[in-house]
Parts: sequence; structure tokens; C-alpha cells
Amino acid sequence: MPKNEMPSGVLLLLILKVLRSGPLHGYAVAQRIHTLSSEVLKVEEGALYPALQKILLKGWATAEWGISETNRKVRFYRLTAAGRKQLDLEMDSYDRVHAAIQSVLRTA
Amino acid sequence: MNELFRRLRYLLNRRRLEEELAGEMEFHREMAARAAGLPLGNTLQLREQAREVWGWTWLDRLSQDLRYALRLLLRSPGFTIAAVLILAIGIGANVAAFGFFNLIVLRPLPVRDPATLVRFQRQSPKSYASVLPYPEMAFFREHARTLLAVLAWTPGTLTIGPEAKPVRAHFATANLFHELGARPLVGRLLDPSLDDAAGAEPVVVFSRGFWERYFGGDSSIAGKVVYLNGKPVIVAGVADENFSDLSLNTVDAWLPITEQPYFIAGSKLLTEYAVEAPGVTVWGRLQRGATPKMAEEELSSLAAILRKEHPNDIWENESLPAQAGAYASATINQGHHGTGARDPDRLVPIAATAGALVLLILTVACTDLGSLLLARGVAREREMSIRAAVGAGQARLIRQLFTESLLLGALGSLAGLGLGYLVLRGLMAVSGTPAWLNPAPDWRVMLFAAGAGLLSTIVFGLAPAVQIVRHRHRATRMRQSLVAAQVAAGCILLVVAGLLVRALTHAMSDPGFTYERLVAINPDLANHGYMASRADAYLKTLKTRLRELPGVEAVSFTDTPPFGRRTVTVGADVTSHVFRAHLANVDPQYFETLQISIVRGVNLRVADSHSIVVSRSLARAAWPGQDPLGQTLPLGGIRYQVAGIAADARVASDQETNMIYGVALPSDMPTMVAVVRTAFAPEVLARNMLHIAKAIDPRIVPDVRTIRSFVNESLDSKKDTALTAGVLAILALLLACLGIMGLVAYTVSQRAKELAIRLALGAKPAQILAVVLRQLSLPVLAGLLLGLAGAAALSRLLDSLLFGIGRLDPAAYLGAIVFFAVSVALACVGPARRALRLDPARVLRSD
Repeated sequence: MPKNEMPSGVLLLLILKVLRSGPLHGYAVAQRIHTLSSEVLKVEEGALYPALQKILLKGWATAEWGISETNRKVRFYRLTAAGRKQLDLEMDSYDRVHAAIQSVLRTA
Repeated sequence: MNELFRRLRYLLNRRRLEEELAGEMEFHREMAARAAGLPLGNTLQLREQAREVWGWTWLDRLSQDLRYALRLLLRSPGFTIAAVLILAIGIGANVAAFGFFNLIVLRPLPVRDPATLVRFQRQSPKSYASVLPYPEMAFFREHARTLLAVLAWTPGTLTIGPEAKPVRAHFATANLFHELGARPLVGRLLDPSLDDAAGAEPVVVFSRGFWERYFGGDSSIAGKVVYLNGKPVIVAGVADENFSDLSLNTVDAWLPITEQPYFIAGSKLLTEYAVEAPGVTVWGRLQRGATPKMAEEELSSLAAILRKEHPNDIWENESLPAQAGAYASATINQGHHGTGARDPDRLVPIAATAGALVLLILTVACTDLGSLLLARGVAREREMSIRAAVGAGQARLIRQLFTESLLLGALGSLAGLGLGYLVLRGLMAVSGTPAWLNPAPDWRVMLFAAGAGLLSTIVFGLAPAVQIVRHRHRATRMRQSLVAAQVAAGCILLVVAGLLVRALTHAMSDPGFTYERLVAINPDLANHGYMASRADAYLKTLKTRLRELPGVEAVSFTDTPPFGRRTVTVGADVTSHVFRAHLANVDPQYFETLQISIVRGVNLRVADSHSIVVSRSLARAAWPGQDPLGQTLPLGGIRYQVAGIAADARVASDQETNMIYGVALPSDMPTMVAVVRTAFAPEVLARNMLHIAKAIDPRIVPDVRTIRSFVNESLDSKKDTALTAGVLAILALLLACLGIMGLVAYTVSQRAKELAIRLALGAKPAQILAVVLRQLSLPVLAGLLLGLAGAAALSRLLDSLLFGIGRLDPAAYLGAIVFFAVSVALACVGPARRALRLDPARVLRSD
């Protein structure tokens, strides 16, 4: 999958997933996805910030002020209970779709 | 906290949140730059993309557009004022018309709990009447379970004081004031517990207007004794001017209905059942939970019970349809009874006509504005191409232009609302409507004005916006269709106004009988308890004494005085030709007195009560292509034979020429009115006639009026209609001429170079004019044809206002065409002359 054509639904899933382990600021979210994907997936600002705004709007995460590793005041995103539920839902549906795609690819 | 709520929070804290987002993204850039060189991309655009998720971008764009539009309008005040003014005229006319409709039909009267008030009228398969006999009303009041209260009144004219000044009175059930929630200004109002009791003292409540005029606003009036019709009566109090007693009449005084016989000697109102008797207008207050349908059904079954005791008075299968009572439209009392189906509602065609006319004005205003906007499009070409060049899409540009129009529309609505209110208030002041009919716009009118503004914006703004953005605004097709629409609308209005004016002059010039020297004397014998024989004797004496009066040429009697308020109509079905006609019972001298000629056959004879005379128009309607003489007409179970044909005369109403004249029988005598023709000015003799009539029976104070005053009264309302239509037509004409002038001026300026070359090469003035006016001739011609067709279609609605003028009256149509053509020609002269005076040298050098 080319890194700049990641479907936005998948990006939402990835963001929710990396926030699961604890609150992160925007840049850290992008970094975490980048490193965890063995530097295959690169999240651009133009996709990341609209996705984060959507997550806030849906109430899946809340924003709070914190201090970054470079000692800057910056917004951290913390997953809410609703966000956790959404993550489970998206994981399930992703798994299903993924399995279905895999089975098509394997047999066809 | 749900999503909508969060969205709103984003809207309210937009500025702060935007800054936070910007800071956050700035931080991201710094970190990214540290890790792997500067990332690419427009930061502003990236921020906007993120913000778009909040869902408020449209609001930003709207406010941006609005601010821009406002600046633009402020920069060209001339255009703005002209546009708002044109729109205000168009919308104002509609607001005034709707405001009036709202007052009459939609807005409840200012009375307590209007929703539970219903009005009752009588109806049976064969007959109808707008009033009920008093005893029938009393029976319902006693037995109806669905009604909490029954209200009724009957009008009457009394005289006050030694100078016998007339007092317009309503004799009302004593609960009237209480049920309608009225408060006294002075003293007390009628009170059921005091004024309904047997042996209660007679009391009167005056209206504020009369109290101020006659008593000079005497605040100690309550408890004083005044003399009405010579009878002493105690003044109970004064009603507030805002009190609406469920009638549009101007009322001077209210008295308990049970006292009516005390003031009007011999009156049998309280016991009389006959349909010819004055009767009472009846309202009911519904019991909690009862519907009008339930009340209607209960009263109809009560009527069936009452019919067992009064089989001749209560009709077979009589029903009492209940209509919502607390509206001005429900109070319009036709004072009317007759056979067959009820007259169709005359309010509907009038309202439809008025609506169509004001809509036409709005159409003209909108097309005018549309062409103004198109012309502005030429001036804004440069601006549009710059905006397109910096990346504005077509949709964005159309939205921008449409927002400007919306702003104009809103301003126009507001101005129209004000203008419409002023016009309505002015019209109401002129026609003298009661004070409680408040023309101030309510929410319905405001909603209407806003809706009219929005609709006109779409009409005048959308198409030009699209045309301008697509660079089609120079195309003549669009302009030509706008001109055609203007001409058509203006033409319809002119024809309609022409028809109304023609009808008015026709009605004024000739109602079909000599009305200038006629006096009607109404002794109202039935109301004074006269039986047939006594009434006959009274009338004979009256006739003899009147004939002795010098200057009296002829005296006759009729039960339907010319243009009087009381009319009887019959609907009949003769050889499958259905028609409606007014019925007048007269004595044989009637035709001679009114100078209506018997064109064929013979006059009525007293001895022959089965012969009738019909008017020529009725003969044509009932027996087309046959000889009407000798035909029979069944009316109320009796077969009448047509003995004579009379010339058409509008003696019963100002519109109807279908007349049936029958011989007055002895039983008709108590309802007869004397009609006297005089040799000279009837006003002078009227006073003498009053003395003569009073001398016969001093208890009776007859109503003596010249027929001319009746005629004028009925023409007055029509005059208002014709005047209003005329003003609308002139407005439409002005607006249309404005549009045409604009088109010619635009053509000249656009084609100045071409015209200059033609002039330089020696073109004659006529040729230049032909070039300028050529593109105008087609739309004007098309508009004229369309307008004439539209007017012919619309005039079907006007029938009831045309008093016998054909709805395709050639004079009105030709007049409209000529008037229009002249106005258009005049409108073209100015701009066309500019084409002739172009200086070729200067024009060709200009760029």
C-alpha cells in the first residue's frame, strides 16, 4: 500500500490504537505510527490533523495540555471510554474485512 | 456531551481553538524539521483542512460573502437605493394585500378564547338564512349541551334626545360583553345577572366614539337617564374602543335584546318565527371538549324537535352549519335569506384577483431588478475575471453574487414590510374600519414578507448570477425575455384596471332606472307589530298623503328597496337552465315610478297574483331561444306565469340584473318600503315625507333616504377597488417602462461604436432608431399578446365586480394597448435620442 494513500478509516483506527497505550501529542502520534510500521507508513499533517479533529468531535478522545519532551506546552490526546469502544468496533470490522480480502487473494 | 453540542462549542470558541490548532501544527513542523528536513505544504491550507472537520466553513464563507456584499452595496448607493425601492414596491403591495387577508381571514378577533367561538346560520336543502328567529335561538340556548353560552344580536336604529339624532344600536344578549372578555371604560357593561332578570330596568352601553361625540366624554355618565326613541333608559357605562362585538358595523350603543320591544313599539322580535322577520345573528361558545361538528349535529337535532311544535317555521331537514366564529370573515353578515343553495362566497374571487394583481407587480419588480443586475454584470466583468483567476470556482462566484442579491432581498423585504403596513393603514383609515382591526404586522405578515423576499431573490438574483459567471450576461435573449415578462404583467394590470374603471363609470351612469330623483321610505311596519290589514291601511294612507305633497310625481311599494341591504334570492332550475335571480314583490305602479319600461307583454295586476314580470336578462338566461311570454316558473311550490318582460335594471343589488317581479300580496304589506319619485331635488322633499309618515303613526320613525345615497354607498367600495387597481397598474407601468428604458440605454451604450460608424457613413436617423429599437419590438409584441391572453383569463375571476360589463370589453383592452404603447414609446425616446446625438469622432477615438 503506498504510504500516502492510506484510507482515512484505517488512519482513524491506527490513531485510536496508538493512543490506547496512553496520551500522546500530534507529532508523537505520527512518529509512533511511522516507527511501529517499520517506517513504511508516513502520516502527513494534511491527513493527521483533520483526523484528530474528527476524533475530538466524535468524543473518542479529549485534548489536554501537557509538556513535550522538548519542554514545549502542547496538546495531548487521551482516549475516552467511547474511544476505546470505537477502537474495539473498528478492530473487529477491520479484522473481518482483512480476513475476507485475504481469503479472496489466496484463493482467486 | 453529544456531537452537536461539541460542534457548537467549536463555533463559540472558534478563535481560541484555531490558535491552539495553529500552535500545535507549528510544533509538529518544528519537530519534523528537526528529524528530517522541512516538510512541504502550505501551512494555511493545511490548517483550513483540519478546521473543515468542525463543519463551520460555510459560515465563514457566508459572513465573508455578506461583508463583501455589504461593502459593495455601500459603494454604489444609487444602485442600492433604486433596487431596494423597486423591491419595496413589489413586496409592499403583496404585504398590504396579505395583511388585509390576514386581518379578515387568518387572524382571530381580539376577543376572549376565540378558538371556541362558532357562528351558526340556517340551512336546509331548499332554503338558507344568515339569521335565526329569536325564539329558535332561545330554544337552542335552553337545550344545547355542547354550548356553554349562546350570543346573539340584532341591529336597529334608534334616536336620542329631543333632536332625534340617529343612534346605531345592537340589541344583544346580555352575556355578549362577558363572553367576549370586554372591559368597561366607564361604569359597567351589560351583565346577565342584572339585565336578563325579569323586570330589570332598561339600560344602555355606549361606544367610546359615540360617548365622546355626543356626551363630550362625560366621565360621570353612568347612572344618568337618557331618552332613546323617547323612552327613558339608564346609562350603564361605556365600552372600550377596542371592543369587537363580532361585527364590522360601527355601533353607537348596545342594549339588552330583551328590551328591544320596549324601544321599538309593537316589535315581535322575541316571538316571531317568520324568515322575513329581522331575526338575530347567532354565535355559540363551545363547551370544553366539544367540536363545532358536535354542536352542529346537536342543534340540527334540536331543530327537528322544535319543528314538531312549529312545522311551518322550522324548515324540513333544517341544519345549522357552524363556522369558526371569531374571524372578521365570519362576521360579514349577508343579511340575506333565500331559496336554493347559498350564494357562492364572494370573498374568494376578490381575494384571488387581488392576489394575482399584486403578484404581477412583484413580477415586474423582480424582472426590473434582474435586468439591473445583468447590466451591473457588464461593469463587473473585470472583477469577476480577477476572482476567477485567483482560484474562485464558478459555484463560489455564483454564491457570492447570489449573496449580494439575498442582502438586497432582505433590505427590500424590510422596506416592503414598512411600506405595506403604511399602505394598509392608509387604506383602512380612508375606508373607516373599526379601531380594533389592527393593521400592524403580526408574525404571519412578517413571515410572509420574509418569504416574499426570499422568493423574489431567487427569481431576480439566481438567473443573472449564473449568466454573469458564465459570461452570458451580454446575451440579448435573457434581456428580451425579461422585457416580455414586464410588458405582459403590466398589460394584464392595465386591462384589469381598465375593466374596473369602465365597470364603475357604467354603473354610475346607468343602473337601468332613474335613481336621481327617488326617495325610499322604510316604516319597518313588521318590526312594529303591524299585521297585514293594518299595514295595508297605513300604506294606503301614506300613499294618499304623499301624492298630495307638491313635487311628488309617483309613489309605489316594494319589499326590496333599490340597493337596499335586505335581498331575497331564488335559485331555480327551468328546463335545465340553472340561474339565480333576485325577487321583488311590488305593486303595479313600481315600473312607472322607477321608469323601467315593460318591453314586451303586460304589467302586473293586483288581481292576478300568479303572473310575474321578469327582466330581459333573466328571460334570456332561463329560456334561451324561446319566447319567454307565457312560460311558467315554479317558485316555492307555485307555478307562476311570465306576463311581461321588463328592461334590465339593477334594482336589488348593484350587479344583478336577473329580476323576478311579483305582485305584493296582503301578507307582504308589513315588509313594504315606499319608493317615491320627485319632480326636483329629493333631499328637500325627504324631510316633508318624514313628517307625513310620522303623522300617520307617531310611534314609527321611518328611515327616509334618497336612493342616490344608497347608490353612492355601494359605489364607494367599488371606487376604492378601481382606484387600488389603477394605482397598481400605474406602478406596474412605471416599473415596466423603467425596464425598457434601461434596455434601450444599455443597447445604445453597448453598440455606441457601431452606431457611430453608421452615423459617420451617413445613416439616416430612422435607420439608427431601427437598429436600436429592433431588438425591442419582438419582446414587446410577445409581452402584449401574452398580457392580453392573461388578462382575458384573469377577468373570469372579476365577473362579480364588473356590473354587467363584458369581461372582454373591447374599450378596456384597446385602451390598455394604446396606453401601454404610448408609454413604451415615451420611455424609449430619451435613450434613443442619445443614439442620434452620438458624436462619431469622439466615440471612435474613446479607446
